[in-house]
Amino acid sequence: MAQVKITVNHNRCVGSQLCMHFLPAVFEMNESGQSMVIDANAADITSIIQTAEQCPQCAIKVEDTSSGEILFPPPGLGF
Amino acid sequence: MNTTLLKDDLMATEVIADPHSYYRTLRENERVHWNERWKGWVLTGYKEAVDVLRDADHFSSDRMGYLESELTQEERESIAPIFNVLKYWMVFRDPPEHTVLRMLLNKLFTPVAIERYRPMVRKIVQKALDKVVSNGRMEFIRDFAYEVPMSVILELIGAPDLDRDKIKEWSEAIGVFFFIKADEPRRREIACEGINSMVDYITPLIQQRREHPGIDLISLLISAEEAGQLTYNDVLATCVLLVFGGHETTMNLIANGTLALMTHPQEWEKLQKDPTMIKRAVEELLRYDGSVKSTVRWAKSDVMVGDKLIKKGERLLVSLSGANRDPLQFDDPDALDITRDPNLHVAFAHGIHVCLGASLARMEVEEAFSGLVRRISCPKLEKTAKLDYYPSVVHRALKSLPVTFQELK
Repeated sequence: MAQVKITVNHNRCVGSQLCMHFLPAVFEMNESGQSMVIDANAADITSIIQTAEQCPQCAIKVEDTSSGEILFPPPGLGF
Repeated sequence: MNTTLLKDDLMATEVIADPHSYYRTLRENERVHWNERWKGWVLTGYKEAVDVLRDADHFSSDRMGYLESELTQEERESIAPIFNVLKYWMVFRDPPEHTVLRMLLNKLFTPVAIERYRPMVRKIVQKALDKVVSNGRMEFIRDFAYEVPMSVILELIGAPDLDRDKIKEWSEAIGVFFFIKADEPRRREIACEGINSMVDYITPLIQQRREHPGIDLISLLISAEEAGQLTYNDVLATCVLLVFGGHETTMNLIANGTLALMTHPQEWEKLQKDPTMIKRAVEELLRYDGSVKSTVRWAKSDVMVGDKLIKKGERLLVSLSGANRDPLQFDDPDALDITRDPNLHVAFAHGIHVCLGASLARMEVEEAFSGLVRRISCPKLEKTAKLDYYPSVVHRALKSLPVTFQELK
């Protein structure tokens, strides 16, 4: 299974908690109420991408660590 | 301490006209301030706002619950129609009910899901502009700022175009209850009439979609109901919320953003020269003069906010406009800079109640301004026009915006 790197951009995250509710094994809230990754390997890639899509702020980036390909967000999405 | 400030009149003419100066003075004096007149705390600092908005464990959004507890039995009965719908609105619910609803509805409003509506919105913008660009003048709110989001929401719920004026009238009536005309003595009756009319209008639409499903939002909500994920009350209340919330705030955002650019024509020109700046520009317009000035929370237990102890049950007015101009968070906060980045404003709030329609609003406003800068010169206020805002603590809403401009060929 391909490995992914998940990054949460704290200049965008507003603490909606949606990622944490969709994938509690992967995401948690830090002390400031923003999302952080606790285990990028705790879910399959499809679920991680589907969860990243739920972020209203497009704050979650998912990369394939072996190829460097950005799996989410697609170019031009978000703001 | 500034004595004018401590009049605590959030509806004073000068506060409605220029909330930013009022909230700046308040923030400079006391970031968490007890407003004796409103009987609640007013927060004007960014950190304090974010701390409260991101902490649903200590702060409730159950507006209907708190309101109900303050009313007599007779008063409660008199506004039963409002309660029966609004208590199902996601914005007024706390976890765990809120979480279930949000996770479901969120799927319909993600940035990816919203992109599919962009071509439709672009066409609506073009059509609205086609009608007015050659005139060289327009009442910007009536002719454009209202036209675009109202047409979009009608498309999204699959309602006939003919119904727009009725929907506007009922939405305004519901708005009386919360936002506008807080001093209107008949506000509860007016709101009840508005909500009853809206329910009477939406009920057959739901029935129609149940029999003939489409790809509109009502059909999507019905399929969630049929899958056992929503109740009928959730579907009905959410439809009312979408129609009510779906146009007015976006309309005001387009109008406020235009006025901001009119008073900073160099920023309009920057955007005109480089339309790729649109996304950052929209974020800055949201920060600079967004359409929702504040939101309310209730303390669920005794809790510190900044240097103040908030007691259980006390309410807090989180000033989004105040937080968005806090110099501790934003450099030169009173300047409009469409290249500002990062720009983590609170115009859509933060935390679990961050605006469900944020991605839709962003996309509509992007399309609106992309269309405007392509088709017309930076508008100017009509010489005889005076800017006047509706008296509301929550909405930043211009009554009209008559402008002149040149069509770009």
